[in-house]
Amino acid sequence: MNENLNITPMNSAQVRQQERFDRKGTAVAEKMLRQIRELSHMPETLNPFLETLESIFSRREDALRPAGVPTVGTYCVMVPPEMIYAQGAMPVKLCSGSYTAFGIGNDISPRDACPLVKAVMGFEEIDAMPVYQNCSLMAVPVTCDCKKKLAGWLQKRRPTAVLHIPANRDQDEDMESFVGELYRFSETLEQVTGIPLTYKSLADACCMTADAQYQLSRFINLRRKHPLIIRGSFSMSVMNALSYTWLPDWTKQLSDLNDELENLAKQKEMAVKENQPRILLTGSPVIFPNFKIPLLIESMGGLLAADETCMGERGFYDPPAIVDRTVDGMLRALSNRATRPCTCPTFADNQRRIYRIRQLIKDYRIQGVIYHVLRGCLVYDYEYRQLEEEMDRLGIPVIRVETDYNEEDVEQLRIRVEAFIELIKYGGNRS
Amino acid sequence: MSVYAGLDGGSTYLKAALIDHTGKVLNTGVKSTGIDNNGAAKVLLEQLCRDIGVSRIDYTMATGYSRKILEVADDDVSEITAHAYGVRITAPQGYRPGLIVDIGGQDSKVIYLDDQYRVKNFSMNDKCAAGTGKFMEVIAQILETTIDQVGPISLESTAPCDINSTCVVFAQSEVISLVARKYDRRDILAGMHASMARRIVKMIRKNEMGGDILMTGGGAMNIGLRRAFEDELMRDVYVATHPQFNGAIGAALIASERRS
Repeated sequence: MNENLNITPMNSAQVRQQERFDRKGTAVAEKMLRQIRELSHMPETLNPFLETLESIFSRREDALRPAGVPTVGTYCVMVPPEMIYAQGAMPVKLCSGSYTAFGIGNDISPRDACPLVKAVMGFEEIDAMPVYQNCSLMAVPVTCDCKKKLAGWLQKRRPTAVLHIPANRDQDEDMESFVGELYRFSETLEQVTGIPLTYKSLADACCMTADAQYQLSRFINLRRKHPLIIRGSFSMSVMNALSYTWLPDWTKQLSDLNDELENLAKQKEMAVKENQPRILLTGSPVIFPNFKIPLLIESMGGLLAADETCMGERGFYDPPAIVDRTVDGMLRALSNRATRPCTCPTFADNQRRIYRIRQLIKDYRIQGVIYHVLRGCLVYDYEYRQLEEEMDRLGIPVIRVETDYNEEDVEQLRIRVEAFIELIKYGGNRS
Repeated sequence: MSVYAGLDGGSTYLKAALIDHTGKVLNTGVKSTGIDNNGAAKVLLEQLCRDIGVSRIDYTMATGYSRKILEVADDDVSEITAHAYGVRITAPQGYRPGLIVDIGGQDSKVIYLDDQYRVKNFSMNDKCAAGTGKFMEVIAQILETTIDQVGPISLESTAPCDINSTCVVFAQSEVISLVARKYDRRDILAGMHASMARRIVKMIRKNEMGGDILMTGGGAMNIGLRRAFEDELMRDVYVATHPQFNGAIGAALIASERRS
């Protein structure tokens, strides 16, 4: 189907549409990057991460990787990156936060579909983003309804692997079926790359992610420092850049950042004043360039101390517990890691998300929770009530902010975020 | 005597209040929000001081939409916090802090208070003028009356009309068709108040509400709307003593705390 597009030359209207798309997309990405860079106390070693985002979204370049390595576009956190690396490809996470692509996807999807999926469809439709265009395969786990329909829509356009996620993950049979999915996924990968899954390649890939996870755990420990050593918008840029970075490069960049942060901590050069309210951001994914909520929190005098989102450490936080050192044993460990500890609300029972948030509140001394709901993102919206009840018990204020992929609501959001920060500041300690 | 000023730069009007160190309201004033917010604020404050023979203000706090551009103010605070502070002064006797319903020109807010008047939670209407003063203004215009008259007129209604659209523009056409069908103005206005009250009551989460309900904002001066609220909630609703100036008074109170 792609060949068709290449044979038919674009008419001038399409060319103009692409030009406008490029211009608008670049402007939004650059504006967000500028706002991130304008925040005080930016560590110098954060630059490589911001440059990655700049290269993908502003200069519209493909992900940097060794020559000849194909990319596999992944959606949601359940696709094990270890398998893709083991079979000679590079994963890129393609869930999108682009307002410009949303504008195009909006015309070809139902009104109430979520903006994230609309933006992905927009990128696919405009066919002008190398990181999307050049993917040799798309891997879409069937999580929420919009992702399910996205999978079907993508399947018609290009090679797509659809992974069934066991919504009832705690049953052994469900887990068994997901292991089967991973075997099938491995076959599909082999068709694309010509490289089979072997014990050695998978073990090497697991070591490679383990290195990255070691740096991530150092980073998490540094993030927990009180007063704060690194702003939330910076941390979220680090995790967003992971989506488009060759993993060993990201590990190196993060190691440098950790070193700098450790030095800053030694010299007591903390990022912000101690008395600002410490806020946890959770809910629907926050994907670059849609950084309006983190930037609002930090520009209105709040400290974005931690986040619990799928673009954050979820999916990468837990290492696979490999006990049986065979290919099958490793695939089972990866399948377990991808589902059982996952706090994605598409699982039927997700009590572990509440536990996780309670843990974060303790570890990061959180004083208030901002719950981000993307319009149409029902699964996250469902879990708000439960979280609210739990926070009420803990005496932690929580607010739900609903938003879409545009900038029209920034002022309405600003007053809510500001009032929430004041609520914590003026409210005194209610616990 | 120390004097503290609060400025509330709303969407429709600019409100100012002066209080002393005991929290007594010395003077209040209102001016249309023009394009020069800061100039208007300066003139208004000067006039309020002149009226009561005060020569200087110790601290000025701004709130409302234009709070960031009011350079005459020393600092600014969000409307939510300002209103929560304001009711410490403006709440009538016997009010047990629980809920504030603020009906402004372009937005409505519901603020939940604990028994110490601290903000527990809040909600606001989204991107829409339903249930706001603007809504009232538009309907009043169609019915050839003014906003201060709609309350008293509506109380004379015997059979309120049904107005179901919550959108200002749709409600406007609904009202025009009611007028064309020769419905009584009194009944249309009563219907409008019931519709607004329903809209705002939907924002209230009753399980979060501890004490009493207090109305603030310009909308609270409308007796018809207040009655509609009481009917919809089936309980008494208190009205702040200076409803339109509650935000400004709250800002002034925060100013006095900031100074002392």
